[in-house]
Amino acid sequence: MPQTTIQKRLAAIRAFFKENHRMPSYAEMTGLFRVQSKNAVAKIVAALCEQGLLKKDKTGRLLPHRLTSARILGTVEAGFPSPAEEEMADTMSLDDYLIHNHDASFLLKVSGDSMINAGIHQGDLVIVERGRTPKSGDIVVAEIDHEWTMKYYEKRGGKIVLIAANPRYPPFVPKEELAITGVVTGVVRKYI
Amino acid sequence: MPWGSLNDWPKAIVHVDGDAFFAACEQAVHPEYRGRPVVTGKERGIVSAASYEAKARGISRGVALHDVPKLCPDTIIVPSDYETYSLFSKRMFAIMRRTTPLVEEYSIDEGFADITGLRGPTHSSYETIAQKMQDAICSELGITVSIGLSISKVLAKIGSKYKKPHGFTSIPADAPKPYLEKTPLDNVWGIGPQTAAYAAKLGIATALDFVTRDAVFITTHFAKPQLELWKELRGESVYPIVPEEKSTYTSISKTRTFTPPSHDRAFVFAQLSKNLENACIKARRHGLVTRRITLFLKTQEFQYATTEGTLSRHSAYPHEMMIAIRPLFDACFRNNTPYRATGVVLTDLILDTTIQRSLFELPIKLERLQRIYAAVDTLAEQFGKHVVTLGSSLLAHTQHTTSRGDLPLRKTHRLKGETKRLHLNLPLLLGTVR
Repeated sequence: MPQTTIQKRLAAIRAFFKENHRMPSYAEMTGLFRVQSKNAVAKIVAALCEQGLLKKDKTGRLLPHRLTSARILGTVEAGFPSPAEEEMADTMSLDDYLIHNHDASFLLKVSGDSMINAGIHQGDLVIVERGRTPKSGDIVVAEIDHEWTMKYYEKRGGKIVLIAANPRYPPFVPKEELAITGVVTGVVRKYI
Repeated sequence: MPWGSLNDWPKAIVHVDGDAFFAACEQAVHPEYRGRPVVTGKERGIVSAASYEAKARGISRGVALHDVPKLCPDTIIVPSDYETYSLFSKRMFAIMRRTTPLVEEYSIDEGFADITGLRGPTHSSYETIAQKMQDAICSELGITVSIGLSISKVLAKIGSKYKKPHGFTSIPADAPKPYLEKTPLDNVWGIGPQTAAYAAKLGIATALDFVTRDAVFITTHFAKPQLELWKELRGESVYPIVPEEKSTYTSISKTRTFTPPSHDRAFVFAQLSKNLENACIKARRHGLVTRRITLFLKTQEFQYATTEGTLSRHSAYPHEMMIAIRPLFDACFRNNTPYRATGVVLTDLILDTTIQRSLFELPIKLERLQRIYAAVDTLAEQFGKHVVTLGSSLLAHTQHTTSRGDLPLRKTHRLKGETKRLHLNLPLLLGTVR
């Protein structure tokens, strides 16, 4: 069993214990482990017991051993505690880090060098959140003459100015109403 | 009239309907398509969806693509990009679910939401709640949807059709009359052309004509489905919102158009064989089996040849079904006739837990098939659909019918790190960046 699977299964048992204040039966564990038979559960339990992660009583039922306050027990036993669930709950995926509103986020592959001094290169992927109201200083994607344009969004004296991060491009003051598509929330550049 | 009798909103149902959905998705990711006539379905030879700019020029769904330039020469014709459309669809439903978990995904571009009882917790009227849903979909996805809000599903659907595109129509319990008056009966969801023609003979032309007849008249002249529609139109909600993903089917059909059309017997059969495999994959995924198979061949002139066969035992294994399909195909297929599509329909599906074995069959044979297809399905899960196929389907997989220009950009251009099977789960904005 790979380490991640072991952690997942222990987490499922812990969650069950937390909710029901008792250990799950073998039938209930088929649901927790998403396996078909109690026989499969028995094999998993045997493997976890062998590694000392679970304990059974004489009749084969699970005992609530090392389930709660895992961190404290870890120190008492003078070993390193396994990465505890509580710690893991405070981390987020790279997806969540880069994307604020998943349902509104789109990718745009950058062509051109208008934002080069903002560190956005040709070939980079920018994450664009549609429908977000831009603030001064945000990088936005707007639609101008049937093309995308990516610039800094600035408000100057009640006027909107789009400014490139490249001195070769002059600031752009839209004459008509500007169609802002979205706000850039992140850039991704993958090397390997 | 029962309208407005007890409560002004006994129920509050929202129907969200994408406006020219596929074409709108294309316009949302391609700035160069905005405001221009766009048509999808290049690989199929007929119009799948037409943008409102194209509709204004007389192009509608189902028009042959070679007629499109005659109607509007500057139309942009693009191949279908179902990956992008599906991502938009999923998001549309996800946004609807922010308001309520009671969301029914009726099809890729339309769905219902039950917002009954949400006025209190949100401190707003049903109109405001539905309008917010519409605003979120439009601003976050860059497409437009039309909304119907009413007290039953059928009325809500009348609402969303009433004004399009980007319409918002609320049909409250106390004032449905003007809307029903302007809705021809065959525009009502669930009323087909046959029923509409029959109703016309009874002097019923509009939804209002229908709804003002009494229950006795309806029951004597119509069947149960129309009685249910009659109740729904009168504001009595009969059809519930079904929030789960559809998992029970009474029939499964798989069909595929290939361009250019072909009169090659082996190739057309391979297409049919592939459709059969696809239908069986779906049946097995839902644990369903059948004894009845219908197959059809469609000629270039859009003529159908349809036959149907019965198996000796329920099955979801193309291996066994092939035996029945071959003679059916041979009976249908005409030499020197170009075909453009084949299709397979599995009907009378039942759960595979109730398979009854036939008397003269060796049980070991079935068990072997079960083992083989368990392995085939596992391989498909790991390495992609059709890694193991029937030999008879092979021609459909190896012979490329769609030219490269008929593939959407998302299929021909991969981002770094993407594989043929795995793409990033965010839609890509296309077109040039300046």
